[in-house]
Amino acid sequence: MKEKYLKKLCPISVWKQIGLAVLFVFLFLASLFIGVDKNVNISQLFKMDTEAWQIFLVSRLPRTMAVVLTASGLSVAGLIMQSVSNNKFMAPSTSGTTDAAMLGVLIAYLTLGNQTHLVQMVFAFVFALTSSILFMSILSKIQLRDAVYIPLIGMMYGGIIKAFANAVAYQTNALQTLSKIGLGTFNRFTSFDILYLILIPLVLAVVYATSFSIAGMGEDFSKGLGLSYKRIVFLGLCVISIISAATFVTVGPIPFVGLIIPNMVTAFYGDDVKKSIFDVMLLGSVFVLACDIFSRLIIYPYELAASFSIGIVGGIIFLIILFRRVRYGK
Amino acid sequence: MIELKSVSQAYGEYAVLKDVNLIIQEEKITALIGANGAGKSTLLNAAANLIPVRSGTVLLDGENVKEIKNIEIAKKIAILKQTQHLNMRITVRELVSFGRYPHSKGRLKKEDERKIQEAIDYMNLEELQNRFIDELSGGQRQRAYIAMILAQDTKYIFLDEPLNNLDIKYSVEMMLILQKMIKDLQKTVIIVLHDINFAAAYADEIVAMKDGRIIREGKAVDMIEKETLAEVFDHEFYITDVGSRKVCVYFQPEMAKEK
Repeated sequence: MKEKYLKKLCPISVWKQIGLAVLFVFLFLASLFIGVDKNVNISQLFKMDTEAWQIFLVSRLPRTMAVVLTASGLSVAGLIMQSVSNNKFMAPSTSGTTDAAMLGVLIAYLTLGNQTHLVQMVFAFVFALTSSILFMSILSKIQLRDAVYIPLIGMMYGGIIKAFANAVAYQTNALQTLSKIGLGTFNRFTSFDILYLILIPLVLAVVYATSFSIAGMGEDFSKGLGLSYKRIVFLGLCVISIISAATFVTVGPIPFVGLIIPNMVTAFYGDDVKKSIFDVMLLGSVFVLACDIFSRLIIYPYELAASFSIGIVGGIIFLIILFRRVRYGK
Repeated sequence: MIELKSVSQAYGEYAVLKDVNLIIQEEKITALIGANGAGKSTLLNAAANLIPVRSGTVLLDGENVKEIKNIEIAKKIAILKQTQHLNMRITVRELVSFGRYPHSKGRLKKEDERKIQEAIDYMNLEELQNRFIDELSGGQRQRAYIAMILAQDTKYIFLDEPLNNLDIKYSVEMMLILQKMIKDLQKTVIIVLHDINFAAAYADEIVAMKDGRIIREGKAVDMIEKETLAEVFDHEFYITDVGSRKVCVYFQPEMAKEK
């Protein structure tokens, strides 16, 4: 049974990819043409209606691009994190990285006042990177039998950082700021420009894909092939931190994406980063686009925060993945 | 040529290699034997510069390994460690392609693809190449690892107890493949072996270690000898000839005493 399935894997995977790409294009276009202003449609755009074009370029296109960048960024961050740590439950949201980014943004606000996204991002990046290095070194010190404990520890670790951020915010009357930055939505009336910075770590992730796979085989194995393990792990953490920081500052925390998307893709392709990275980006985008469209339609003309629907659907998918792993012991 | 000159290594206060001098014979199988903790694995690691030595030098083709970049060493020495407890799901072909990393840094060219294909063909893995390694039997998986090392295209191959957890059939198959590789591809193999009879049957040279020192070395036929082995393993051996081969029996110490 399994043999047969594997022999067929190649053609099936090609069809899956085509299906995924078609779905992506469809959702991308749908995302562009959903909104309160009915004038923004293809015929108006063809008629060169200035108002329609303005809304399209100022509001619709940036939002859709933000969804795609955030989704592919977070999915790839999760993929790299899972590969380097060789643990399927690692992701920016289960290792305290997102919480550290939040603390960074809060500290930026408290020390420098209202700042541009770029300054906030630098703070978020420094905090996220420091926190992930700390977390990785904690992990390397404790020997755990069961891989499930690692994200549990990560969530506790993230919880501590979050609690600390809350305490600081409470003391400094900044709780409102904290709750504002703590909401994940693509409807923030802010510029999403900084999200294009995600393209840098995405390119790095593609270029170093094989190195990340080899690093996942362990330090000894990597060294035997002449790969500088520590440098690659550090590069991986930088990639993860830039992505987490940029998305957190502009969009807010988006749960589950970095966790479930790589799991769904690697279940088919295996753990070679190079083979799965583009599908991870594509599936991540499809998932978040769908959730975002849902959030915009369910109480139309108003909308929910995208993180709300992502949290619900993502949580269900995560549980399915978890139960499958428990059942099949992997 | 690999030459170790008065190499010493210690973990903290505990010395694992003490003043080791060794010249590794080219195009031969050299077996490292000795009791647990004698320093065999450490010797392999030190020779491949995977751990920096405390004192002494390791010369790889006349150059001090400390002066060579790790990636350049990986073009000359391939090493396979004893604990490959992997839970990564990668296919055989992907694993073999990792062997090209020192040459390609992850961007495979035509030349790399050719070497990968050659390695797969040499190890008869054509039919298994798209299978995930965690679905293979122990013997098949070990063959996949050897294919990776072949793709790495190095002159020297270091193997740390490659026969661990392998059935008799696969162990013999593995040793025969190594012998064939030396003949066909002019490789130099250094192998840590636990079972003295495998060393007796397949190795050209035997290096015996005890407490971090090399206590004896020489041609395999000369090394399989009662007094030598008793000294190396602190155990009585009974050695007999089967055909043209020497076989060591070590199960019942009283049997050795009777003779």
